[in-house]
Amino acid sequence: MSKKKAQGTNLLYQLISEARAYDDVIVMGRGDPDFDTPAHIVAAAKDAMVNHHSDYTPPEGLLALREAIAERVKRVNDIDVDPATEVVVTNGGQEALFLMVLAVLSPGDEMIVPEPNYNTYADSLAFAGGVKVEVQTYAEDDFRADPADVRAAISDKSRALLLVSPNNPAASVIAPRDMKEMLDIAIENDLMILADDIYDLFVYDDFEHLSPASLPGGLERTLTLNALSKAYSMTGWRLGWVVGPADLMARVRELKAAISGGASVISQHAGIAALTGPQDAVEMMAEAYRRRRRLVLDALDAMGMKYGLPQGGQFVFADISFTGMDSGDVAQRILTEQHVLAYPGSAFSKDRKDYLRMTFLQPEAQLIEGMERMKVAMRDIMAER
Amino acid sequence: MAAKTKADILARHQANMALKAPAPPPVSRHARDLSADGMISPLDERIIAAAADALEAGQTHYVDVPGIAPLRAALADYLNAAFGAHCETENIIVTAGVQESRFLSIQMIGAMYDSIGIPAVAHPGVQKALGVRARRVFPLAADAERGYLPAPTAIADAVKRGCRLLYLESPARLSGAAYTDEDLAIISAALREHDALAIWDQGLAPWVDGKYSSLAAFEERPSLAATIGEAWPGMGLASWFIGYIAAPADQTPAMQSQKQIMAICTSTAAQHAALEAANLFEEARGQKLAQLSRLRRDISDAAEALNLEAIAGDALNIMALHAPEEAAARLRGAGFDYADGAPFGAPAVIRLSVNTSTMNALAALR
Repeated sequence: MSKKKAQGTNLLYQLISEARAYDDVIVMGRGDPDFDTPAHIVAAAKDAMVNHHSDYTPPEGLLALREAIAERVKRVNDIDVDPATEVVVTNGGQEALFLMVLAVLSPGDEMIVPEPNYNTYADSLAFAGGVKVEVQTYAEDDFRADPADVRAAISDKSRALLLVSPNNPAASVIAPRDMKEMLDIAIENDLMILADDIYDLFVYDDFEHLSPASLPGGLERTLTLNALSKAYSMTGWRLGWVVGPADLMARVRELKAAISGGASVISQHAGIAALTGPQDAVEMMAEAYRRRRRLVLDALDAMGMKYGLPQGGQFVFADISFTGMDSGDVAQRILTEQHVLAYPGSAFSKDRKDYLRMTFLQPEAQLIEGMERMKVAMRDIMAER
Repeated sequence: MAAKTKADILARHQANMALKAPAPPPVSRHARDLSADGMISPLDERIIAAAADALEAGQTHYVDVPGIAPLRAALADYLNAAFGAHCETENIIVTAGVQESRFLSIQMIGAMYDSIGIPAVAHPGVQKALGVRARRVFPLAADAERGYLPAPTAIADAVKRGCRLLYLESPARLSGAAYTDEDLAIISAALREHDALAIWDQGLAPWVDGKYSSLAAFEERPSLAATIGEAWPGMGLASWFIGYIAAPADQTPAMQSQKQIMAICTSTAAQHAALEAANLFEEARGQKLAQLSRLRRDISDAAEALNLEAIAGDALNIMALHAPEEAAARLRGAGFDYADGAPFGAPAVIRLSVNTSTMNALAALR
């Protein structure tokens, strides 16, 4: 009996599982930074284990952490929130994403989603019974979401607009002018905005990140998520947040209480240290990602592969249409034959079977080796055509 | 402003009473807080060392969605040894606490069934989990004489009448009352006969002194019950939020997939701490049971002297009382918090944590 082909998130996890079997695997798939969590954050966690291990934490998180988050979103994103009522701490950005979707969308409601997009939004929307209305973006435009296309996608069932900037997997950043127009569209059509700022500290060249909640009229209709996973290399700590207007955040809080209660008090104390402590490790990592991005793009250029310029994020979305194969099959071959894990575009969007997402979250030597192996895989695939 | 869209969202939210059901905190919020589900316990330095070592060794990254393999294996071993279950590692999902266990099991197993039988008296977290996405509920009447557990015959009748999925607590989260072997013989026979399944919350089972009967012991492999609970309670990890689901093999994929969607994985520090707690649990539990037994006896005597009727329960860490509003008001007036029975479905009942402050609370009623 033939095995059913995995799709979407399940496909990614199938590849992750297979990758573990190879001792020499080079992981350019999962968005998990190779750096360990900075030492002062680990030290704060150890201190919390001794001094705060049984502290009560409400579902919305420790006030000290919410204050640190409010200060951070003001400093970095120019979003004004009250830590008492407008911040909810979550089990990572993933739970924040799930909560935002559940908070806003009900069965039959439509959410406008620039595609490609992070696959979990579709999964969460499906749980909520909502409907995804796709707005396509294209590599030749560096995956820019065109506000005119968003406007054209609106129906009487539209309730929300998803704005992930920098985008995952396409790595495009919504330009300030476009972001303002997106907000205007939301206001004119009474849409809520779900803003995903998780890669906001990783923006390259002269591109600029702008949070819709920082704009006049933005905060009251926007839920914004972020997390410590990417910026502080804290993926295993499961700590993120949602900020937004107090009335909606009361709903986010209740949903958080219903889904998982609170977040680990140890992770929360680590989070306080991350946000209030020295930030030089974040700078160091950002600089490393800048170098690695250049390295991967140079390798792709040398191979003659096309891609949308990664304006932000920690990955590049590369065009493999020249292979004539489905990205799931290409990813499988690269993994099986060359022991390089890259994510197939089809896992992010059914219309992106011609793309691979490659992260640059490995040391440079590994990335060089990974791209060499990729070149061999592509050569072998093309030789068979 | 976001006029109609937001107003509609907020109106739906206001109408969703289940989602807003007030639930007890996982641990006490202050010295006179007797409402908590879990207990504040010292954290063994070996647990701190294990978690700290893991973090310093770089265990700060994503791990497998259902949990790190050694912890899943340790949970399977624990459930098999302590409750007579027949779990393999593959049956185990590590969760970010018992509320996530409730949510995942109720929503994801629930999605495979037409309805779910819910006891009329249960932890408010059950209502909250149902409030996120409504499911058709088959109410199971609570039997006040049995500590508000639904009678086994009522459960069997519900299964016979078509309710193929049940949510059951044993010990009951309000009273601590637990089902006996005789009860479980009736319940398991009904489940088996009708190919039905129970989500079985046994989180308070470690605090039963003496024989505890788990539904998981009434099957040769996980097939009748998806058991849930806190991972090694009383070990100082209540605020770390770590729990488990042990489910039949055909039920785990949907829950794992949903766990990935809503959390990716559980905190690595919590998992490594729990793994060490597994090694220390039995000894610590024995000491706690002895302490709880003494405290509960004294508290029971004090309640009786106050003409407060204690509700029979098997779990030693809580005591439920029939309490007139006047008594409850006096407790509140003296600064004590208690778990109100109303959100559980049992008005005029209060639940007190059993600890050294509980006697002071009852003294305030004299």
